Amino acid sequence: MSTATRNTSARRHPAAPGARTAAGAIIAVACLLVAGCGSKPAPSASLPAAPASPPLTTSFATANGASWTVVEMGGSAAQEDNFWQVFVRQTATAGWRQVTPLGVADNGGLVVASPGSGSLVTAFRPSQLLTYTPLAASTDNGAKWSSAGPLNASLASAADALAAGPNGQLIALTSGGTKAELGQQLGTTWSRLATVSSLNATPPGRACQVTGLTAAAFSASTPLVAASCGRPGVAGIFADTGGTWHAAGPRVSGDTVDVLALAASGSGLVALLRATTGTSASIIGAWYTGGRWTLSAPLRIGAGKLGSTALGPAGSMGVTWNAVKGATLAGPGKAWQTLPALPKQAATLALGSQVEAIVANSQTFRDYQLASGGWSLAQTLHVQIPYGSSG
Amino acid sequence: MNSGLNDNNPTLVAAFRAALLHQGIYVLLIFAILAVAWVSAREWLRPARAARFATPEPAWRQLLRVGFGVIWIFDGLLQAQPAMAAGLPSQVIEPTAASSPAWVQHVVNWAGTTWSYHPIQAGASAVWIQLGIGVWLIAAPRGTWSRLAGLASVAWGLVVWVFGEAFGGIFAPGLTWLFGAPGAALFYCAAGALIALPERTWHSARLGRSVLSALGLFFIGMAVLQAWPGRGFWQGTVHGQQGTLTSMVSSMAGVPQPVILEDWVRSFASFTAAHGFAVNLFAVIALAAIGAGLLSAGLPEVGLRAPAPWLLKATVIAMVVLCLADWVLIEDFGFFGGLGTDPNSMIPMALVVVAGYLALSPAPAVVTEPAVVPEPAGPEPAAAAAEPAVAAAAGSATAEPDAVPRRGWQAQPARLARSFGAASTGAVVAVWAVAIVLLGAAPMALAQTNRTASPIIAQAIDGDSAPMDSKAPAFTLTDQNGKQVSLASLRGKVVLLTFLDPVCTSDCPQIAQEFKGTDQVLGAKSRNVELVAIVANPLYRSTAYTRAFDAEQRLTKVPNWLYLTGSLAQLQQAWKNYAIAADIVPSGGMIAHNDVAYVIDPNGYTRNELDFDPGPGTASSKSSFSVELTNAAERFVRS
Repeated sequence: MSTATRNTSARRHPAAPGARTAAGAIIAVACLLVAGCGSKPAPSASLPAAPASPPLTTSFATANGASWTVVEMGGSAAQEDNFWQVFVRQTATAGWRQVTPLGVADNGGLVVASPGSGSLVTAFRPSQLLTYTPLAASTDNGAKWSSAGPLNASLASAADALAAGPNGQLIALTSGGTKAELGQQLGTTWSRLATVSSLNATPPGRACQVTGLTAAAFSASTPLVAASCGRPGVAGIFADTGGTWHAAGPRVSGDTVDVLALAASGSGLVALLRATTGTSASIIGAWYTGGRWTLSAPLRIGAGKLGSTALGPAGSMGVTWNAVKGATLAGPGKAWQTLPALPKQAATLALGSQVEAIVANSQTFRDYQLASGGWSLAQTLHVQIPYGSSG
Repeated sequence: MNSGLNDNNPTLVAAFRAALLHQGIYVLLIFAILAVAWVSAREWLRPARAARFATPEPAWRQLLRVGFGVIWIFDGLLQAQPAMAAGLPSQVIEPTAASSPAWVQHVVNWAGTTWSYHPIQAGASAVWIQLGIGVWLIAAPRGTWSRLAGLASVAWGLVVWVFGEAFGGIFAPGLTWLFGAPGAALFYCAAGALIALPERTWHSARLGRSVLSALGLFFIGMAVLQAWPGRGFWQGTVHGQQGTLTSMVSSMAGVPQPVILEDWVRSFASFTAAHGFAVNLFAVIALAAIGAGLLSAGLPEVGLRAPAPWLLKATVIAMVVLCLADWVLIEDFGFFGGLGTDPNSMIPMALVVVAGYLALSPAPAVVTEPAVVPEPAGPEPAAAAAEPAVAAAAGSATAEPDAVPRRGWQAQPARLARSFGAASTGAVVAVWAVAIVLLGAAPMALAQTNRTASPIIAQAIDGDSAPMDSKAPAFTLTDQNGKQVSLASLRGKVVLLTFLDPVCTSDCPQIAQEFKGTDQVLGAKSRNVELVAIVANPLYRSTAYTRAFDAEQRLTKVPNWLYLTGSLAQLQQAWKNYAIAADIVPSGGMIAHNDVAYVIDPNGYTRNELDFDPGPGTASSKSSFSVELTNAAERFVRS
């Protein structure tokens, strides 16, 4: 009976069931293959790459010989075992000493600003579950700190994301460099200074096509912000005079120009610029004195990874890149001097009375001085790193 | 998704064992009750012996039913491993979905999170559901209940395939038959579906042909995938690094297992590294040949001649051998390491293929023998003609007239009793198996209605709270709005007190959220509770920082939240009174302080101290701490 039943079914639908079954099975297998190949998503349309943020590692030396440097020490950042440190040297001949402010985990980085005369303001960039920015202030080059602020936002990642001006004024770049806040009384109160959008709504901003804010400074009591420009040939430095933004930067050849460092220098300004053409970058020193900008010749670093920036007295500046390469610029009108290969794990240069290379790794801080075409170890400090304390 | 706890956390392991033990006692109790009731019904009521079908269950169905019944039971026992409760989401579920698209991870994450919120209930649930399905399949050989067992296998198999196997990994790169594609649970579903088919399908060879044809296409598809260039299977090593297959096999060798097995797998890994091309070529050819051989079983469906019987038999044997070899050398049996959930895909796959082969020989038609009545009975005006449910579970038909005429509803209990007594041993065991499944499913379903996590997680991290009974030390400090607040001013409310660093990067934000969660769990009772934190940082203690912390943690709108600070001397006194250390750490470290919470009753007495280190700070652990704190507070809340 079951055989007859089967044959009857076959007569009514001679080949359709089998063909349908086969077709359905083939479609199923095809779907399986397509799914199983694990197709990757279509590549997104190419977008212009945002310029890399200016490095946090930096140093600054004043005309009277006082210097400070910010370097990363400890272990893995992924495991919250990296701890940023601040070192200060009060005079050109004194040794370095560790003055890292206490009381806040600094795995996210430190940014130091100085209004001069031994005063320092340090911002703790947020990390892990801390989302706002505590501040610390010192009037004696970091010997003692007191809490300041806070800044109820996340400070941008740039060595000059914080600027300190007269009378306790501060400028802070926040929200990934899209906003600038103006602080009073060492950050007790804050008000919005600018945003990328508000700058781009101004004539100088449109001329630049601001893509992000990268540095801040005060020229006397005038707030300045610096930016990356999308329009070629423009260095985005803007000054706020009476509530109106004015272009204050030089013209620079190159596809995109971003400002790596900006600081007041005497009655003028100094700036380190990065001009990028394609994938090749050049570093240019810029000085503003007597109402005009002077630019250095470009230092070509190609596709090199910028390690640190350094500003020194008399408009001197320096950069490191690709871990072992460094160059300095003595001042306006001078040429870039390429340095001998930097000591291993050099973090930054320090420009005081002489060129120094700061090596900071794990728990040891070393200061090398350039002499006779080579590096000689001048000072070693052991730093007690609180591994595991941020877990 | 996971609770973040160590897989073998002793608290969780002990709780898991206790839950299994308690539920195991219920299982035995149910069995005892059923057994006694059944024996009693048989002895006292002497029901008619059930009719028996002349045609036995076909071999293919019996193979699937018993085979997968055993596998489900084995899987259930594996699910009872100590590390399962805590370890399954993080060590099995999450890694399985790691390379799948985001939407798959989202789906899987839901299940993992659900598990991690109630790890004990979830772990025990999986044990009993799988044990129950296994026993049910074995105990119910045919009929409605047997088909329902098949459907239960499909349903739970789907749950496992989606959530436990991330859809069998079919959306992730690197899919390969060698490592279990398209997921072992899919074969459990297939077997269940075949078992659930009506009896009329047993009498046609079409079922066997369809199964083999489908599997044939599957094997051919797997062969194509295996041969596909650029997927890394053709190279044993690539630039000195292990190739895809070699690294997969090596990873299995690293699982804790008997040394001899580890040696086998490691040897095969070495062989693959050296001869990757040959190994993959063999796999491709074998899969293609087996696929073609199985597919040929479906030739009659398209009007072609059936293949020679010896060819099909040889194909099936070859497939079984290949499956066994893969199961040992590549899948490494699948269940070692303390978190193995099943023996992987090769055994289930082989069972389905062999069943398909056996199904090529259809079962003869069914003939029913009349029921045998043990005693003569008088004429019955309402003789039962319908099959009672329990008797149908045995796949048998009964017709048992009542001895005494009764009205319909009055006759029902007696009828049920006779039916129960007439049921076969298998039927009773099947009922017991269903009870086991329900015993597993019910607690987890109930737990699902609770949106908070079990407090067991918090206890596993920090232990139980310490009861106290001492007057809470007084303090008068400044709240985030600049107002003076004393402990005495909070009299009449339960005070939940902790100590938080406003610039903390890790623990304190989590503890703040746990306090906020406690407020939510308390609901209306939170009116009588005050959540109080005291600053635990000697350097960053201004109200600007307590307000910044409140804004960061979205506590500004919580009406019963107080974040208190004061002068350094005042804070140090409070720290001393409540045994809080707040130590400055040099060189960029966070203030080191202990994490603790106190429950102070409305009369100002400290009644509980809880170690409140938030541990991993996962969603489930935070919810668990909130529940633990709520439970500690509720005892003292005045309604």
